[in-house]
Amino acid sequence: MTIVATDSPAAPARRAFTLRGYVPLFPPFAVLLLFFAVPIGMMIGISVQDPKTSQFSMASYQRFLTDGLIIAGLFRTILMSGLVAICVTVMAYPVAYFLARSTSRWRAVVFALAIAPELAGVVLRTYGWLIILEDRGFVNDALIWLGFVSSPLPLAKNLFGVVVGLTHVVLPFGILALLTSIQGIDPNIEKAAQILGASRLSVIRHILLPLSIPGIVSSLLISFTMAASAYATPALLGGARFKVLATMIFEQIMFYINWPMAAVMAIVLLVLMLAITFAGGRVETRLHKKLNI
Amino acid sequence: MNRLLSGLFWISLCLILAFITLPLLVVVAASLSPSSTVTFSPADWTMKWYAALWASKWLDPFILSAKIAVIVSLVSGVLGALGAYAIAYEKCPGSEAIMAFLLSPLAVPQIVKGVAIVIFLSSAGLYALLGTPGLIAAHIVLTLPFAARMIATSIYNFDKNLDRAAQILGASKWQRIRHVLLPLIKPGVFSGMTFAFIISFNNIPLSVFLVRPGQTTLPITVINYMEYSLDPVLAAVNVASLIFILATIFLFEKLGGFSAQIHGGSK
Repeated sequence: MTIVATDSPAAPARRAFTLRGYVPLFPPFAVLLLFFAVPIGMMIGISVQDPKTSQFSMASYQRFLTDGLIIAGLFRTILMSGLVAICVTVMAYPVAYFLARSTSRWRAVVFALAIAPELAGVVLRTYGWLIILEDRGFVNDALIWLGFVSSPLPLAKNLFGVVVGLTHVVLPFGILALLTSIQGIDPNIEKAAQILGASRLSVIRHILLPLSIPGIVSSLLISFTMAASAYATPALLGGARFKVLATMIFEQIMFYINWPMAAVMAIVLLVLMLAITFAGGRVETRLHKKLNI
Repeated sequence: MNRLLSGLFWISLCLILAFITLPLLVVVAASLSPSSTVTFSPADWTMKWYAALWASKWLDPFILSAKIAVIVSLVSGVLGALGAYAIAYEKCPGSEAIMAFLLSPLAVPQIVKGVAIVIFLSSAGLYALLGTPGLIAAHIVLTLPFAARMIATSIYNFDKNLDRAAQILGASKWQRIRHVLLPLIKPGVFSGMTFAFIISFNNIPLSVFLVRPGQTTLPITVINYMEYSLDPVLAAVNVASLIFILATIFLFEKLGGFSAQIHGGSK
């Protein structure tokens, strides 16, 4: 082990660490302080001001808790995000499983198809769903032509449309979360069970699903948080009647010019995100311990 | 039973892939269709919607978005590299807490960051910064964590022995950074910058608060237009900007050669 000696030239450099090492951090820290930390602090400050007199007041928090429309918006946000989380995870699972296990040359194609929409941005995809789902869109035209329905089904401008659009937006992230988890499962366990006579179904039920629970949890988590904080898709596919926290925040700033109310809504959304991420993180670590991964 | 299951698996896989590609195909077909009814027969296709893009109504927002995205990707690349250098190369004490601070904007939803920045600029008397300067600042906050993380990863993966070899051979610190570290982490820096470019160019939730008349980015122009019309010209705008993004990725890849890193083949 004489190689160890060659380590020594680097050692003095480490010992000689001084405050100069922090200098490169100054520009990124300055930018984040000025345009992130200070604004967030100011937002919290404004949330406890009266909208008219700027005096200290908890009025906006009170209104958040008592205004039926706002509470409805909060529950709509949670319902929408929960549905998106479930749809994304259910749809991402087969794709992730295929990507984790396949060795065929189609793997690259499927991977590209699964990830590429992310480059297209939310506007393009939302526009695509609008022309597919609107009253005179694609699906309704086809259904009427086939004679299944006589008048167009309400597919856009409601919960259904938003869930479809958001599922499409979030799906690649669900696939990546599950892919990492399934890749970590030893394929030999599945093979062993099959050799011992387990049916495909019991392999899925007793091996694949239990072992991929951490991946399922992280897919649910990332989908929920992405859906709850999405703005453009609910705004465009939800229409005027389907309001969620994100679109209500925008209205408070742009139309009602009520900063304290917007700040309170933003803080509630932020706390919701942090709580879910924290709780999900706890569940994940516990699962990892339990599964010994 | 097993047959049925694997049949179901393949069918669901195909349906899900169809779900993923459907809106993209529809938008491409819509951009080529002569009227607002989408047609899939190439014989009827026309380029007239693309010709309509050559007007300042679409060109100005496009140029603004591209300009902002270029500035944001350069600044985020430099700031991210500085942060990653201190954390991953110098390994300054407390580097974990510092990294957590650099990544902290990721924990905050974009719409919340947008509200915070617009309240800050307006109440600190910085109205003048609304519009392009505010957009650039907000996009930097958004993209800096991604750039810092990607560059830090590539510094962690970089072979420290090369650096030691250069040191033993008498290279100064600056020479080692310039001729050893930077060339080797170039793919990481470029992938961080590409990421920043795409995020900035497509951004809505932050931009929506910060645009002002005459300084509106392309995605915001498109969603404002979508509120009252679903004209096929929108399909053409969307497809054109997707092509622009793909071309930029290609260009960045040529300059930085980061595809090897993405495929996990970093040496």
